[in-house]
Amino acid sequence: MSGSGIRFDRVSVAYDGNTVLHALDLTVEPGEVMALLGPSGSGKTTALRAVAGFVRPASGRVFIGGTDVTGLPPHRRGIGMVVQQYALFPHLRVKDNVAFGLRAQKAAKAEIPGRVAEALEMTGMGAYAERYPRELSGGQQQRVAIARALAIRPGVLLLDEPLSALDAQLRSGMLAELARLHRELPDVSILYVTHDQVEALTLADRIAVMDRARLQDCGTPQELYRTPRTEFTASFVGNANLLPVTAGAGAALLGGAELKVDTGGVAPGATATLCVRPHLVGLGDGPNALTGRVSEVQWRGATHRLYVDVAGERIKADVRELRTPPGIGDQVTVHFAPEDAVLLTAAVSEGAAASRRAGVAADG
Amino acid sequence: MASATLAAAPARLPRAVPRWVWALPPVAVLGLVFLYPLALVVQQSVRPDTGGTSLKPYADVFASEAFREALVTTVWLALGSTVGCLVLGFALALVIAFVPFPGARAVSRFIDVFLSFPSFLITLALLFVYGAKGMANGIWTDATGAAEGPFQFLTTPWGVLLAEITYFTPFVLRPLLAAFSQLDTAQLEVASSLGAKPARIVRRVILPEALPALAAGGSLVLVMCLNEFGIVLFTGAKGVTTLPTLVYGKAILESDYPAACVVAVVNIAISVGLYGLYRVVSRRAGA
Amino acid sequence: MLVHSRGGRWAAWALFAVLFLPLFALPLLVILAASFSAHWSGAFPSGLTTGHYAAATRGESLQALTTSLVTAVTASLLALAAGTWAALAAASLKQGPRWSRFAGRVLDTLFVLPVAVPSVVVGLAVLVAFSEPPMLLNGTRWIVVLAHAVLVTAFAHQSVSAALARLDPAYEQAAASLGARPSYVLWKVKLPLLLPSLSAAAGLCFALSMGELSATMMLYPPDWTPLPVRIYAATDRGSTFTGAAVAVVLMAATLLVLLAVSRVRTRASYR
Repeated sequence: MSGSGIRFDRVSVAYDGNTVLHALDLTVEPGEVMALLGPSGSGKTTALRAVAGFVRPASGRVFIGGTDVTGLPPHRRGIGMVVQQYALFPHLRVKDNVAFGLRAQKAAKAEIPGRVAEALEMTGMGAYAERYPRELSGGQQQRVAIARALAIRPGVLLLDEPLSALDAQLRSGMLAELARLHRELPDVSILYVTHDQVEALTLADRIAVMDRARLQDCGTPQELYRTPRTEFTASFVGNANLLPVTAGAGAALLGGAELKVDTGGVAPGATATLCVRPHLVGLGDGPNALTGRVSEVQWRGATHRLYVDVAGERIKADVRELRTPPGIGDQVTVHFAPEDAVLLTAAVSEGAAASRRAGVAADG
Repeated sequence: MASATLAAAPARLPRAVPRWVWALPPVAVLGLVFLYPLALVVQQSVRPDTGGTSLKPYADVFASEAFREALVTTVWLALGSTVGCLVLGFALALVIAFVPFPGARAVSRFIDVFLSFPSFLITLALLFVYGAKGMANGIWTDATGAAEGPFQFLTTPWGVLLAEITYFTPFVLRPLLAAFSQLDTAQLEVASSLGAKPARIVRRVILPEALPALAAGGSLVLVMCLNEFGIVLFTGAKGVTTLPTLVYGKAILESDYPAACVVAVVNIAISVGLYGLYRVVSRRAGA
Repeated sequence: MLVHSRGGRWAAWALFAVLFLPLFALPLLVILAASFSAHWSGAFPSGLTTGHYAAATRGESLQALTTSLVTAVTASLLALAAGTWAALAAASLKQGPRWSRFAGRVLDTLFVLPVAVPSVVVGLAVLVAFSEPPMLLNGTRWIVVLAHAVLVTAFAHQSVSAALARLDPAYEQAAASLGARPSYVLWKVKLPLLLPSLSAAAGLCFALSMGELSATMMLYPPDWTPLPVRIYAATDRGSTFTGAAVAVVLMAATLLVLLAVSRVRTRASYR
């Protein structure tokens, strides 16, 4: 099981003239877990299917382990793949499902039972070898699907929304399982497609954020969360206050208020978007204080979510549960530390397209 | 970067056999046993016995009284049967789907079985029921003492019509039941909770939902009635001739192949045209 | 529920019974009754006898039964092979570029065409085409088998096509991602998963071929008389009771085979 990475080289995919993936450049290092995160229709599944060979790129090339596989049929690519609905063969027992890839690739007969048992043990399904898929629960079927993909010892594992058909509790259990599997198989590169930010943040070494057929941003989970480069990343990876501001010298102007932030390279006078995570907004006076009226209060158990209208913008603040929460209409002051805010170029009002272009430029 | 990629020889294997090659054997077989024979029929239809190639067989056939009568009989029988099947099928499907009774499932099963039997069995059965010495006339003569019963329609087109409606109604029932099973019963409950009477619900809610299935089933039945042979043959009525029985008569009984081929071509034109319409309708209906 | 009042429901059921029973149940019952009776000159048949069955299960009638069974089985298998092949080829073509998808649709259309063409005309066409050397089949049993196969291929093709369209492509793709070649996927995944539909198609083809009359009337040689022709011959010369008995034999044989096929299907789909 030698490590082999994946590389997209300006891969575009179009269906009937509709571009569903636009010039994707992305590298998954050997042994890395890369999450493709995005809403439905963002092109993330198409990217995965281009690696698997189920869609043919209109242009660009796909490499697995340094080999150009763009023209190879799926069965010659040496990948393991797990899809949302598992796709276990209903007419085969669990052990035959797991042995399928080995038999198809004409592995030595004597070797097959051992490797099947090994793959089933690894996923904790050793006791179910004689069952049929329909006799298993969703979570068990998922484990068998993973065992089936691992049995052929692929260098690359493709996971297409593997947990979305499971309920919330099973999902967190399987997340831990997947993390453990990856620790046990450190050489396998994993491309993990999901629309769930928690899955991506938990599991991935790096996250590639996709939207509208394009790569918007790519980085480690921490980078994307703490210093998103685009509004889309900011709002899709975690929760965000996105405030339209005008850049000044070492500050941003929101309405009449001057907020101290790191303006980076933004030219004074330019419109920009200020991104502040709600849980980093504090109640009461402090640096970068803003005063406004409470328009909504939500109790969420451990926290209170306050919506405060400031200068025509609605600021979300997640604060620790309050003994005496403010009432609707009360005047309150909120604040945030200058280092907790990120200034994004291009204003909210300027429309999504412009900011996305900026995002891609920043990425390239 | 991009040029370096292009320079590297891609690991491309030529596809062993392009996929269109796999389509050739079945097309060749179909061509040999179906398309080529059909083409021969068309060819023969312009080859009169006198030799040469002319449209004379067409002129002769079109001029003959028997052909025109068969054409008219075929079309009106098919149309009448289709209408009958639609009305009857809709009414029966309504009861099966919306006024459920124990055994409704058995009825659906029975319909499937019914569909797997040949059509001429219906005519055979009608002989026992409405035939000159059949059940209905028997009851009548027993009751009135008359020498003959009043049911003498079996050897007329009406007998064929009755048999065709009986045999083909299940072909309407099945798509209708499928369509009804997808109808949201909540819609019906909302409609009736708003005070709509059953007749109104049928007209306003059920009928619009059933229209695609009715259209698809109806056009299928129309085509099948146009092509029906067994029912007409078993009726044994010399007075009822349709295009298919005319083809049989010309070819087998009279050995007049050019004429048989002409009638066949006309029959094909009508049926294939209608069948094309059916495919379009049923595809639009999503059936 | 459409009708809420008890009376309304009973009225609907009564209407249903009045329409359904005489139209659909009565014919089959009447044939069954007639096949067991000696006379039917009054309201009801009289003279219980199994004599017609004695006639219907020996000699020419028995031969007709085996003729029908052999014809139907052979034609169904041929049709199933051709229809399945064509459906698979068309489905594969439809995954390709635009011209290829068009070719796939053309292939589908060609294979459903025999449904639209009247079976009498199919009989005539086969008669015209195979009456001369080098393809001289006229007068042999093969011309009947061939015509039946042509007529039922369309149904086999349609059922298999529909099943293929319903088949989740994820199975095929999962198999391919595991390194299975297309032929391996076909034998080990697709065909096993299609088995229920294939057996249903086989049953349909068999039933249709068992009842085929129109093309058969144009083609049958004297030594290859299937059951429907036999029933026609019996009723045409006035022995309607024998005809009824042979018809019951036909129905029973069809039902038995369909039942066996449906058992295969249930087993296949619950594996």
